[in-house]
Amino acid sequence: MTDIADLIGSRFEWISKDELMNWQSEALQRTVAQAAKSRWYAAKFREIGLDPTSIKSIEDIARLPFTTKDDLRQSYPEGMLTIDREDVIRVHTSSGTTGTPTAILHSKADIDCWAELMARCLAMSGATKADVFQNMSGYGMFTGGLGLHYGAERLGMMVLPAGPGNTTRQIKLIRDFRVTCIHATPSYAMHVAERMLSEGDDPKSLGIKRAFLGAEPYTEEMRQKLQELYGFKVFNSYGLSEMNGPGVAFECPEQNGMHVWEDAYLVEIVDPDTLEPVEEGHVGELVMTTLRREAMPLIRYRTRDLTCIIPGECPCGRKHRRLARMMGRSDDMLIVRGVNVFPSQIEEVIMRHKWIGGNYVIRLTKAEALDQMTVQVELARSEFDGSVETLRNLRTQLQKELREQVGFNVGVEVLEPGSIPASEGKAKRVVDERT
Amino acid sequence: MYKEIRVFAENKPGKLSSVAETLGKAGIDILALEIADEGQFGVLKILTAEPERAKTALEEAGMTVAFNNVAVIEIPDRPGGLLQLAKALERSGINVTDAYGCILERGKRAVFVVKGEQISAIESAAGEAGLHVLEKLE
Repeated sequence: MTDIADLIGSRFEWISKDELMNWQSEALQRTVAQAAKSRWYAAKFREIGLDPTSIKSIEDIARLPFTTKDDLRQSYPEGMLTIDREDVIRVHTSSGTTGTPTAILHSKADIDCWAELMARCLAMSGATKADVFQNMSGYGMFTGGLGLHYGAERLGMMVLPAGPGNTTRQIKLIRDFRVTCIHATPSYAMHVAERMLSEGDDPKSLGIKRAFLGAEPYTEEMRQKLQELYGFKVFNSYGLSEMNGPGVAFECPEQNGMHVWEDAYLVEIVDPDTLEPVEEGHVGELVMTTLRREAMPLIRYRTRDLTCIIPGECPCGRKHRRLARMMGRSDDMLIVRGVNVFPSQIEEVIMRHKWIGGNYVIRLTKAEALDQMTVQVELARSEFDGSVETLRNLRTQLQKELREQVGFNVGVEVLEPGSIPASEGKAKRVVDERT
Repeated sequence: MYKEIRVFAENKPGKLSSVAETLGKAGIDILALEIADEGQFGVLKILTAEPERAKTALEEAGMTVAFNNVAVIEIPDRPGGLLQLAKALERSGINVTDAYGCILERGKRAVFVVKGEQISAIESAAGEAGLHVLEKLE
């Protein structure tokens, strides 16, 4: 029988700083050598005149090129693959449906590693095989569902793959199976609590001990409120599909920053403009290099997430450094209901409709703790035929296309021509009123 | 055939005031007004004696305006005044789905305004029954 400590990579969890640095240098050499087997990186290394074997330690990281989301698009679908395609066992593509998506391909070893990292996160929170876990995250291409699922199974928890939505059923399952841990977006956890309170029910009566929340930014105040309402402890989770998904960084019981598993990810924080490293503790863009990925290693991937390394050691004793809460983006990506949305995706749909003008505003609000997106557009003067039925049909069609584009319902408001200020340079296209 | 004014309007307080103010300043009398509501926005339907001038005035005030074709049939303004027209439409097998009426002179003249695809059929039926199909409203 395999020891649980092996299954969740305990040797890495409690690794010393020196050992970690040595491991990282060796792993970086392996990663670069592996990446060079892909068409994309082979060409990239040739282009900049880099000899992959000249990378010997983590100090050499600055000589390696950055990888961007656009590189992933250009190399889609298999340009960064380093192994025989028959050895790929899983593909996840980006949630955005616009234009060319991005894809991450995983080997058996990659999926195993992901499960290990995720299980390590859950174990760090204090969860064990005795816990019962309800996963309220979407399955499918969205990595939040399968990522937590595999991790929880690896730890040996009883897993309920409930998926998102259907609040009444979620509450029933939690009660019937005495669920002790949940995974959800912060806003959905709040939605469930508000629903229960409005029905005269007490969220504390569910008896949940831990909640793993992530996929969207939220405030410390909201964490405190959720903890008070449910009487559980909230653990923040950070991940992105390019780095597998969840399981990249996670909070320990100290609840002060998310330990990023540095045996699997080489972390840099850079100035998004100069791309030079910032001093420890300063805010910059998170850049990550995979250290344990086989099928599709990524080198110096620009996450576009702004954060900082929390200086000093965590009282928990783990040497893996901690990331602060994400403080925003160095691009214009929005996170709505845990889904990544770029304003350009909305614009693409709007531009297909000649009955509306080119100016638009994306408004983000909250209703019953859930994110709402409303797109305001201007009627094109020349296209008005006087019929309210025509406008109704056009609006319905626009709503349908927006829903297909982003995957959730989007409100549409049709405004008078000229009521949205024309764009000059960087137009204020997004109004976020969620906090 | 006659032209009714259609104005696009976001559903918010003050819109009706600006329409009333604009037409008032231009000295244009509103004979009838209807609002087709679609929640966040709607369409104002306005019958005036001077549709061309009304359209220009509203457009100059920055509004989005279109014409809509309607049939305007004069009927007597008295009890049973609609009956002759109604009988004529019945004989021609015309089913009216979108219409309204308004008084031009109290106790004397009123009009029945019909929209939709059957305008010419309605105008013929009214004409055959000896009713006036108006091209002008005075």
